[in-house]
Amino acid sequence: MSKKDKKTCIKGIGLCGFGSGSNSAAVDVQDGKVVRIRNFRYDKEYTPEEMKPWRLQVNDKIFEPTMKSLLPPYSMIYKKRTYSKNRIPYPMKRVDWDPEGERNPQNRGISKFVRISWDEATDLIAKELKRVYKEYGPYTVLAQGDGHGETKTVHAAHGCQMKLLDLLGGYTLQARNADSWEGWYWGAKHVWGQDPVGQGKQTNLFKDISENSKMVLFWGCDPETTPWGWGGQQASRLSYWFTDIGIKSVYICPDLNYGAAVHADKWIPVLPNTDLAMQFAIAYIWLTEDSYDKDYIETHTIGFDYLQRHALGEDGTEPKTPEWAEKICGVPARTIKALARKWAKEATTIAHSNGGSYIRSCYSHEPARMEVCLLAMQGLGKPGRNQFKFIEWQLFGSNEQMPAPRSEFIPTVKSAYTGWRYTMSPQFLPKTLIPKAIQSDEPLTWYGQTMAGYPREDQFIEYQYPIEGGAPIHMIWTDTPCWTTCWTGGNEMIEALRNSKIECIVAQHPWLENDCLFADIILPTSTKMESRDISVDTLSGNFNHLFYEEQCIEPVGEAKSDWEAVCEVAQKLGLLEQYTDGMSEMDLIEKGFMESGVQTKISFEEFLAKGYYMIPTADGWEDDIPGFGKFYQDPKQYPLETPSGLLEIFSQDLADVFPDDQERKPYPQWIAFGESHSESLLHPKSEKYPYLIVSNHPRWRVHANLDDISWLREIPTCKVAGPDGYLYEPVWINPVDAEKHGIQSGDIVKLFNDNGWVLGGAYVTERIRPGAIYQDHGARLDPIKAGEGDRGGANNLICVSNTVSKNCAGEVTSGFLINIEKCDLDALKAE
Amino acid sequence: MKVFVVDVAKCNGCYGCQVACKDEHVDNDWMPYAQPQPDTGHFWMKLKEKTHGQVPKVKLEYTPYPCMHCDDAPCMKKSEAFYKREDGLVILDPVKGEGQKDLVEVCPYGAVYWNDALNVAQKCTGCAHLVEEGQLPRCVDFCATGALQFGDEEDFAEEIAQSETMEPEWGTHPRVYYLNLPKLFIGGEVWDPEQDEVIEGAKLILTGTDGLTRETHSDAFGDFWFRKVEAGTYSLKVEAEGYQTVTKDRIALKESYNIGDIPLKK
Ligand SMILES: Nc1nc2c(c(=O)[nH]1)N[C@H]1C(S)=C(S)[C@@H](COP(=O)(O)OP(=O)(O)OC[C@H]3O[C@@H](n4cnc5c(=O)[nH]c(N)nc54)[C@H](O)[C@@H]3O)O[C@H]1N2
Ligand SMILES: Nc1nc2c(c(=O)[nH]1)N[C@H]1C(S)=C(S)[C@@H](COP(=O)(O)OP(=O)(O)OC[C@H]3O[C@@H](n4cnc5c(=O)[nH]c(N)nc54)[C@H](O)[C@@H]3O)O[C@H]1N2
Ligand code: SF4
Ligand code: SF4
Ligand code: SF4
Ligand SMILES: [Ca+2]
Ligand SMILES: [Ca+2]
Ligand SMILES: [Mo+4]
Repeated sequence: MSKKDKKTCIKGIGLCGFGSGSNSAAVDVQDGKVVRIRNFRYDKEYTPEEMKPWRLQVNDKIFEPTMKSLLPPYSMIYKKRTYSKNRIPYPMKRVDWDPEGERNPQNRGISKFVRISWDEATDLIAKELKRVYKEYGPYTVLAQGDGHGETKTVHAAHGCQMKLLDLLGGYTLQARNADSWEGWYWGAKHVWGQDPVGQGKQTNLFKDISENSKMVLFWGCDPETTPWGWGGQQASRLSYWFTDIGIKSVYICPDLNYGAAVHADKWIPVLPNTDLAMQFAIAYIWLTEDSYDKDYIETHTIGFDYLQRHALGEDGTEPKTPEWAEKICGVPARTIKALARKWAKEATTIAHSNGGSYIRSCYSHEPARMEVCLLAMQGLGKPGRNQFKFIEWQLFGSNEQMPAPRSEFIPTVKSAYTGWRYTMSPQFLPKTLIPKAIQSDEPLTWYGQTMAGYPREDQFIEYQYPIEGGAPIHMIWTDTPCWTTCWTGGNEMIEALRNSKIECIVAQHPWLENDCLFADIILPTSTKMESRDISVDTLSGNFNHLFYEEQCIEPVGEAKSDWEAVCEVAQKLGLLEQYTDGMSEMDLIEKGFMESGVQTKISFEEFLAKGYYMIPTADGWEDDIPGFGKFYQDPKQYPLETPSGLLEIFSQDLADVFPDDQERKPYPQWIAFGESHSESLLHPKSEKYPYLIVSNHPRWRVHANLDDISWLREIPTCKVAGPDGYLYEPVWINPVDAEKHGIQSGDIVKLFNDNGWVLGGAYVTERIRPGAIYQDHGARLDPIKAGEGDRGGANNLICVSNTVSKNCAGEVTSGFLINIEKCDLDALKAE
Repeated sequence: MKVFVVDVAKCNGCYGCQVACKDEHVDNDWMPYAQPQPDTGHFWMKLKEKTHGQVPKVKLEYTPYPCMHCDDAPCMKKSEAFYKREDGLVILDPVKGEGQKDLVEVCPYGAVYWNDALNVAQKCTGCAHLVEEGQLPRCVDFCATGALQFGDEEDFAEEIAQSETMEPEWGTHPRVYYLNLPKLFIGGEVWDPEQDEVIEGAKLILTGTDGLTRETHSDAFGDFWFRKVEAGTYSLKVEAEGYQTVTKDRIALKESYNIGDIPLKK
C-alpha cells in the first residue's frame, strides 16, 4: 500500500457471531492502519425515499429510524481489539507438551509456550488428528466451535473445524445449550410452544406498545446494556420514546441496572432468582380479587385449575400470599399488591432482552413458564399485552421475531457462512456436561439435544455419551477458548482440561486469553479488519442492509482467519479441495450475495461499487397483527405449537414423560431448592453463604470479549483500581452489607463458595439491594491458583455446576449463593 | 459561531462521547490543532456520573463535560498558547503548549491535560479538523440519543434561551449550553401499615425555607417524587383522606434523598 493510501470500509461490528451481522460501521484506514471507526451513514448511496423510513406517531410525538447506525461504544473502538497487546503473534506450542514423549497434562495453565511456525503447528495438528482417529476411532475429538464473538461469514469465527473433522470421520460436538434462553426453552415452551427458543411473538410490537400499552415491566431487562452487544442503541431511543409518550417503565431487578438508572419510573429491587414467589403472589391477588381474564382462560388455556389450586394453597401447600412472598423475594407485600392491581387495570407488556438470572438460574423453567401464565391471565395477545424483546430482532430470519416495522425482506449471507453447522453430530455432549464427561469413567445420559433451536419434543428423548459404538474424547480442538469464563463451574473445567485422557488441546484464537492458557498448540487467528467478507445488519431496528466488507489492513503478526487456519490443516491432511469445495474467498462472497435476497434488486457489480444495499421498509407493515394478536382473536384458526394448540398451563407431555420429576412438574410450582440445587436463602447452606450473586452480562464487554480495552477500563463502573494498582472487576455491594464486612469502595474483596473464589474491587453503592452482590460475568481469567482462585474476577469459575434441574441440561450462571470478605492481599501473597 | 448544546435528560450514560474522543485523537495527529492524545488519563470529553438517592429510589445522572469554549476564556487571559477561532472554538496551540505543564492550571473547568510523553499541554479542539470539513465533532457524531448537538448558534436559539451554562458566576461565557442539568430529588412512599397497603392519591406538600411550595400526589405504588429540587431545608406535609396528617420538618437536603416509607394512621 502506498503511504497516501486512504480508504473507508464498511464492517459489521456486532458481536453476536453465527453469521448474524449488525452494527454496521465506517472504518477509516490510512497507511495500512485503522484510524477510526464511525457510525455508518445509510444515506451515502441511497436516498431516504428509497429506504421508506417507517414512522410511529402518538399525539404530536414521532419516532423514526435514524440515517446513521447506532453503534455501541465498543464497536466504535474495536481497533483496540485488533491492535490489542493480547493478540497472539505467531503459532505456539506448550514447552513441556511432547507428542513423542511426556505430554504433562497436569502442567496445562502453568507451563509456558514457545514460538513455532505455521508449518510445524499444522504438521503437529495433522499428525495428532490422524493418530487419535486411528487409535481411538471417530468421534474422539471434541469440537468446541460455538460461541459469540466477531461476526464473520466467509471467515466465520466459530465452527470452521467441524467440516474438516467430519471429513475425517466425525467428532464429538460440544452442543451449545440454549444458554441465553434456558428458562424459556425448558419451561415456557411447554406452555406456549414458541420454538425455536421459547420466547413470545414480536411482530409489530413497537407499534402495539406505543399505541396500546400503559405500563412496560422491564423484568430482568437492561435496555442500556445487552442490546449493545447485538444491535446497538436503538433500544435506548425506544426506551426514551416509551417515556415520552407516557408509558410507565417499571424495572424489576436486584440491581439498578443501566436502563433503570435512566429510564425507570419505578424500581422494584427483588432478590435474585426469587421472582417466582412474587409471580405467584400476583396470581394470588388476581385470583382472590377476581381481576383476571376468566373468559380468556376458558377459551385459550388448559390446566388452569392446577395453577389456581397451587397459588391459593388448596393443594396442601402454603397459600402464595403477598405476605408469604415478601419474606422470600424481599419486595414489600404492599408493593406486590399495587403492581398486581395496576397490571390488571392497565394494558401491560413485559419486556426482556433475555431475562438475566430470572432465566439463567436454578429452576429457571419455573419463573419463565409462570410469566407466560401471568400473561395468559391478563389476555396474552390483546392490544398492549404481549412479551417484548429489546434484542435479537429477526432472530432465525423470522418476521415473527421482528417488533420493529417489517422490512421488505430479511437479507441473509448464510450460504457463504463457513462456521457453526447447525447440524448434530451423532456423538455430542451438552456444553454443561463436558467437565463431567471428561472426568467420569461412566457413560452419561441426559434429555434433549439441548441446543437452541431444537423443537420442544426433543426434550423428551434420552441421549447418551459415548454413543453405542462411539468412544470417549481424547483430543480437543477449540476456537471458543472461554469455557472457563462463560460456563458453569469453570474450576471443574480447569481440572478436566488437565486430565491425562485429553492428550492434545488445540486452540485457535486472536487473543491469548482464558482457556488458551490450557492449550498445547495455539494458532493465531485474525480479527475482521484483516480480511474481506460480506455481511448483513439485521438487528439495528432501523433498516436491514447487506454490505461488502473490504479488507482494511494486513493481518497482524502471523494471524490467518479461522477459516484459513483450518484450510492450512486441511492442506496437510490432503483434504483442502474437499474442505473448501474448491471455493475461494471471493467465490464465497459472490455466492453469499447471489443467495442473499438482494441479487434480484441490484447486480453483484453494483453491490461492490456501492458497497451496500439498503432494504426498504415493507409497504403495509402497519396492518401486521401484533404479537399474539391472531391467537387472541381466534385460537382455533391460529393455534400455538403446543399439542392442544392452546396455552398449556398443565403439560400432559411433561406429565407422561417425567411423572417423577419433582423439580419440573407438569405445571409451574413454587420451588426454592430441591434435589439438584440448594441455592436459596431459605436453605441452611445460606448460613455459610448468605448472599445471592447477580452475574449479569457485562456492560463493558460482550462476555469474554473486550476486557482489555484501556479506554473502557478507565470508566468507573468498568474496573475498580485496587490499592495495588491492579484494575479489579467491580463488585457492587449495598452500604448496609458493606458495613457488616467493614468493606469500603476500592477495597479488594473475595467472593467465595464451595467451588472456589474470585477477587473483585468493592463498589459500595445504592445501585444494588441488600442481600445481593453484583459482579458482571466474563472478566478475563487471571488465575492465582488455577482451579481454585482468580484475580481477574471470572466468577463463572465458581458457578454451580449442576444443570437447571434434573432433566434439563441447561446452565446456571447467576443467582447462586456466595459469601464475601475483605481480601488481605499480603496474606494471599504470602501463601 | 458554533455552539454545543447538551441535553442531559437525553444522556443515557453510554460514555460513547468520552471514548469517541479517544478514537479520534489517540494515536492520530490532527495538527495544527492537536498532537495525538495519550492512550489513557486524558478526558477532553469527560462524562461525569452521579448516583442519587437510596434503595429503592435511585437514579443516575450523567453530564458530558468538554472544554467550554468560553467567550471570555480565563485560559486565554493567562496564556498566549490559547486562541479563539472565528467559529468560536478555543484551541490550545500544540506548538505553543509545548513544555508548559502549568497550563493545566489555567482552566477553572479542568479541561486542560498534560501529555507527558509528548511534553505538551492538550485539550478538546472542538474537532476543528472535522468542523472545517463540514463534519460534526466526533463526540457529537457518535451520540445515539441526540443528547449532544453542535452547530450554528442561530439554529439553536430556542434551546439556548432555556439553557444554563457551567459556573456562570465565573463570567466565562461558555459556548457549551446545557438543558435539564441535574438537580436533586426527594422521594418516598406513603402507606397504611394496618392494612399493609400503599396509599394512592395522598397529597404531598413540600415547602422550602425560601417559602416556595410544591405539591404532588402519590401514585399507584404509593410513591411520590419531587424532582429538580435545589439543596436546602424543607418540610413535608402528607395528607390523605381518612388518615391523620403527617409532617416532617427540617429535612436538610444536600443530596437526593429517599425519605423512605411514610406510614399513615387512620
Ligand atoms: N455468569 C454468567 N455466565 C454466563 C451468562 C450469565 O448471564 N452469567 N450468560 C451465558 C450466555 S447467555 C452466553 S450466550 C454465554 C456466552 O458464552 P460464549 O458465547 O462462549 O462467550 P463469548 O465471550 O461471547 O465468546 C466466545 C469466544 O470467542 C472468542 N472470539 C471472538 N471473536 C473470535 C474470532 O474471530 N475467532 C475466534 N477463534 N474466536 C473469537 C472470544 O474471544 C471468546 O473467547 O455465556 C453464558 N454465561
Ligand atoms: N453488552 C453486552 N450485550 C450483550 C451481551 C453481553 O455480554 N454484553 N450478551 C448477549 C447475550 S449472549 C445475551 S443472552 C443477552 C442477555 O440479555 P439478558 O438476559 O437480558 O442479560 P443479563 O445481563 O443477564 O440480565 C439482564 C438484567 O436482569 C437483571 N437481573 C439479574 N438477575 C435477576 C433476577 O434474579 N431477577 C430479575 N427480575 N432480574 C434480574 C439485571 O438487572 C440485569 O441487568 O445479551 C446479549 N447482549
Ligand atoms: S454519547 Fe450521548 S448518550 Fe452517550 S454518554 Fe455521551 S452524551 Fe450521553
Ligand atoms: S473551558 Fe477552560 S480551556 Fe476551555 S475555553 Fe474555557 S477556560 Fe479555556
Ligand atoms: S469536540 Fe472533538 S476534541 Fe472535543 S471532546 Fe468532542 S471529540 Fe473530543
Ligand atoms: Ca447489566
Ligand atoms: Ca436523566
Ligand atoms: Mo446468550
